[in-house]
Amino acid sequence: MMRRGLRRKSRPVSEIPSSSLADMAFLLLIFFMVSTTFRKEEPRDVIEPEAESTQRFRGASRDVVHIFIERDGAVYINDARVPVEQVRSIAAAMKEENPSLFVVIRADQDVAWRWVHAVQTELQAAGATRVAFYTTLERRLTEGGR
Amino acid sequence: MPLIRRRSRIASEIPTSSMADIAFLLLIFFLVTTVFDEERGLAIMLPEGEEMVEVPEANLLQFVVREDGQVQVRVGASPAVEIVEASRVGEIWQRESAGNPELIAAVRTAPDAPYRFMIDVLDALQRVNAGRVSLQIAEPSP
Repeated sequence: MMRRGLRRKSRPVSEIPSSSLADMAFLLLIFFMVSTTFRKEEPRDVIEPEAESTQRFRGASRDVVHIFIERDGAVYINDARVPVEQVRSIAAAMKEENPSLFVVIRADQDVAWRWVHAVQTELQAAGATRVAFYTTLERRLTEGGR
Repeated sequence: MPLIRRRSRIASEIPTSSMADIAFLLLIFFLVTTVFDEERGLAIMLPEGEEMVEVPEANLLQFVVREDGQVQVRVGASPAVEIVEASRVGEIWQRESAGNPELIAAVRTAPDAPYRFMIDVLDALQRVNAGRVSLQIAEPSP
C-alpha cells in the first residue's frame, strides 16, 4: 500500500510547463510597447514617386521632419499649410534647435518641379542641407498600371 | 476526516492561468499598431551657403528633363545634344565619368515637368553611385 502511493507521487508531469508563458509574452509586449511610435501626422493625399535605388535610413525620429508637397503645390509642415516663402524661416528655426535636422521631402509624383525646387531652394537658404526625397521601391510587376 | 477537510479548502492564490492570455492580447495589439520609424528615399546633401561655385563647362554633364520625361544630354562644352530616356542616364554617366573624375551632373528640370521625371533621372544617377549631382531648374526655353 505504502509503496504504491509513493510511486504515484513521483510520476513525471506530462504537461508542458506553461508558467513561463506569461513572462515570455510580457517580454515581447514590453519590446513592442517601447518600439511603438504612434503616427502623429494626418495622412496627406500624396503619392510618392517610385525609385529603384530607394535606400532605407534609420535616422532618429526626433531629427526627421517631413515636408509634404501636394499635387497642386501646397506645402505642409507638421500638419499646417505653409506658404513656400515661410519654409526658410521654419526650417532655420528647426535647424537652430536641432543641428542634425534631417528633412524628408514627400512630394507627389505629379507635382510640377517648380514647387519642389522652390522648397529645395528655401531649405538650402535655411542651411538645412541634409535632405532626402521620399520614394517608394519600384514595383515592377504593376508597372504601367498607374 | 482531516484529509477531506484539507481538500475542500479554498485556494488563497490569485489565478495566474489567464495572465498569459492578457499578455498575448496586449502583445498582439502592439504588434499590429507598431510602425517602425524608418525613412526611405533618395538622400542628397544640399550645398552649404548661397555662394555660386563656378564649374568649368568641360566638367559638366548637363541633363535637361523635359515636360514629357525625355532627357536632353549635353556633354561638357560640346554643342551636340542627345535626347534619351531617363533610364539611360546612368550608363551615360558611367561612360563620361570614366574619363573625367571631376565630372558633375547638372540636372535641370523644366518648371512644369512632373516631379517623378526628375526622380527617374536622380534614381538612375544614384544607381550608378554618381555622387556629384546638382539639381536645378531649367529656364523656360523659347
